[in-house]
Amino acid sequence: MANKDPGIGAAVAAATCSLLGTATPGVSVAADAEPKWDIESAFLYYGESDGRVKDLSLSALATRDFGDERKLGLDLSVDSLTGASPSGAIANSSAQTFTSPSGRDTYSTPAGEIPLDNTFLDTRFALNGSWSQPFARLYTVNAGLGFSSEYDYQHIGANFGLTRDFNQRNTTLSAALAYAQDTIKPVGGLPLPLAQMTDAVDDEQSPGNRGDNSDSKNVLDVLLGVTQVIGRHTLLRVNLSYSDSSGYLTDPYKILSVVDPVTGDLIGRTPAPGASGPTGVYRFESRPDSRRKEALYAELRHDFSGKVLQLGYRYSTDDWDVDSHTLESRLRLPIGGSSYFEPHVRYYQQTAASFYRYSLANGALPEFASADARLSEMSAVTMGLKYGHVNAGGNEWNTRLEFYRQTAKAPNEVLIGNQPGNTQMPDFDAVILQFGYHFKL
Amino acid sequence: MGGPCEVLTEIVDEAAARKVVDVVAACAWRIEGKFSRYRTDNIVARINASAGAPVEVDEETANLFDFAALMHRLSDGLFDISSGVLRRAWTFDGGDRTPAPAEIDALLPLVGWSKVRWERPVITLCPGMQIDFGGIGKEYAVDQATQLAAQVSGAAVLVNFGGDLAVTCARDGGQPWRVGIESIDAGPRRPARLVDLAAGALATSGDTYRFVKVGGERMPHILDPRDGRPIRGAPRSVTVAASTCTHAGMLATLAMLRGEHAEEFLANEDVRHWVQRA
Repeated sequence: MANKDPGIGAAVAAATCSLLGTATPGVSVAADAEPKWDIESAFLYYGESDGRVKDLSLSALATRDFGDERKLGLDLSVDSLTGASPSGAIANSSAQTFTSPSGRDTYSTPAGEIPLDNTFLDTRFALNGSWSQPFARLYTVNAGLGFSSEYDYQHIGANFGLTRDFNQRNTTLSAALAYAQDTIKPVGGLPLPLAQMTDAVDDEQSPGNRGDNSDSKNVLDVLLGVTQVIGRHTLLRVNLSYSDSSGYLTDPYKILSVVDPVTGDLIGRTPAPGASGPTGVYRFESRPDSRRKEALYAELRHDFSGKVLQLGYRYSTDDWDVDSHTLESRLRLPIGGSSYFEPHVRYYQQTAASFYRYSLANGALPEFASADARLSEMSAVTMGLKYGHVNAGGNEWNTRLEFYRQTAKAPNEVLIGNQPGNTQMPDFDAVILQFGYHFKL
Repeated sequence: MGGPCEVLTEIVDEAAARKVVDVVAACAWRIEGKFSRYRTDNIVARINASAGAPVEVDEETANLFDFAALMHRLSDGLFDISSGVLRRAWTFDGGDRTPAPAEIDALLPLVGWSKVRWERPVITLCPGMQIDFGGIGKEYAVDQATQLAAQVSGAAVLVNFGGDLAVTCARDGGQPWRVGIESIDAGPRRPARLVDLAAGALATSGDTYRFVKVGGERMPHILDPRDGRPIRGAPRSVTVAASTCTHAGMLATLAMLRGEHAEEFLANEDVRHWVQRA
């Protein structure tokens, strides 16, 4: 009985036109919305001043919506790092020679300059996958796995999170748990804590100051957060997080200069006859094997009729005595309907770790010591601008230029002899340039 | 309109957006007021209370009767705006009360457009008969409101009256509107399908909320006016895309009335459609 009247569609259309007083039938353009990949791709250049670290990075974050709020996320990135980084040794009035991290070569630093270890060259590959979906009526669960690899470092991590909406979805509580296991396999093996740098050895021998080939580190992160809608234009987010790291937390490539406890000058050393090696006394650093960190983060977003201001503050404290404050702000300024500018400022400051040393006084050794400037009193400022444009197809390209300046200061109490007058910290500036394209496939 | 009504638009200027919302809301209230069968002071109430006396109707009501008469003919009597009387026997509240055959048969003499005398602009019902525009009114209101929205603003506007909707044009940048078709099981939070709509309208006919259980079998609220029984084998939900909401809604309703032949009917009509069955 169904198909006796093939003309019914045309007759219904004509009757509808007549009823609605329209002259001709309009058009209908409807299509099934297939699940699509939403891809945020970016090319990033990061370059530090004075020929130090350069990072070229390609990344893509692909999200696929399967409907029912079920989402798959894949995050892929490749980094190429080149350049030199400060070894932790202090500048000296005469040239210095060091044994390289492998223990088989040497390199030299001219007089008056901060020693940089220029054997830094690496490619890093990282992949993260995540899945999120609703669970019961007001819950969303998400779970993810991550993996990254570089030649001396492997990371594998898993995370799980749960959010619940309250109060007509104006309040969201979230809880997340992440666990990571990292393996460190430094070139030349793991230096023994505070072991002295020795002469370079040839390929048949192993450097005498090394322990195992590799070690591991475990990190547990717990996060509790609340997001609250405050009125029609304001959103507040507050997170509390706890992080517990244990295992090998030392940087196997960082060293300290050993100095005269009275003058503060580097203690000289002569390599063995026929050997090449350090011309001063240097010791590998040693850090505690656990670190517990707590942080509070608050972020406010407000929409001033199209201009969106984001203000964030983070306080973090840990049992290494590194306390930090971060203030960050972004302002999104729409230009016309399809472009925007987004200025960005960030200020960061921290106190020094309890075992931070500018150098080590010759004599009895402390249990832990590190001259890594990232563990000293330090502040950093970032200023940048992003420009984005959404094209007719709904895809966005954007570019971001940022300047970063990091300034460290050795606390007075760690300076020895004449060091207070001639401290040189490995401060630097960096430029970040990013091109991004956000599209759908 | 028997459900939430909304207007979506990409207009940034608040005054311009307000203007669109105002004309759409005024249109919805006007049509609801004029054609709702729940009111006692409108043309529908006047006709239903006429007790066999002729009633002269205005231009717009007459157009709706012309349309209903044509749909009745095209559907071999399946679409019938006088079938509402059958609701006295059937209460589609999700329960399992089934009326006795005698109860239904007693109502059948009061059902049937062929018993109505329609000579534009005068309608005469047999005493005890009733008409209602429940099967057309909402879709008609969406189309009227969408036309008005297009007249007061060139911007992209989507008018949605309880799941039946139409758009004035594609969104900024030519992007289609993305519309979720409500899943028959999970409710609005988990759309069964996502549809990209750049022009035209979508209308859905279904039993998501209104059904009755007969011997454990879920019977939709859609009744065959010829025998007063629920249409057997009807899909749970039919969504149709067409140039207007009235057109889409009519095809969705006619498909439901075809019962187990709904898909066949729609395939023959060459329209985009989405059928959900249990």
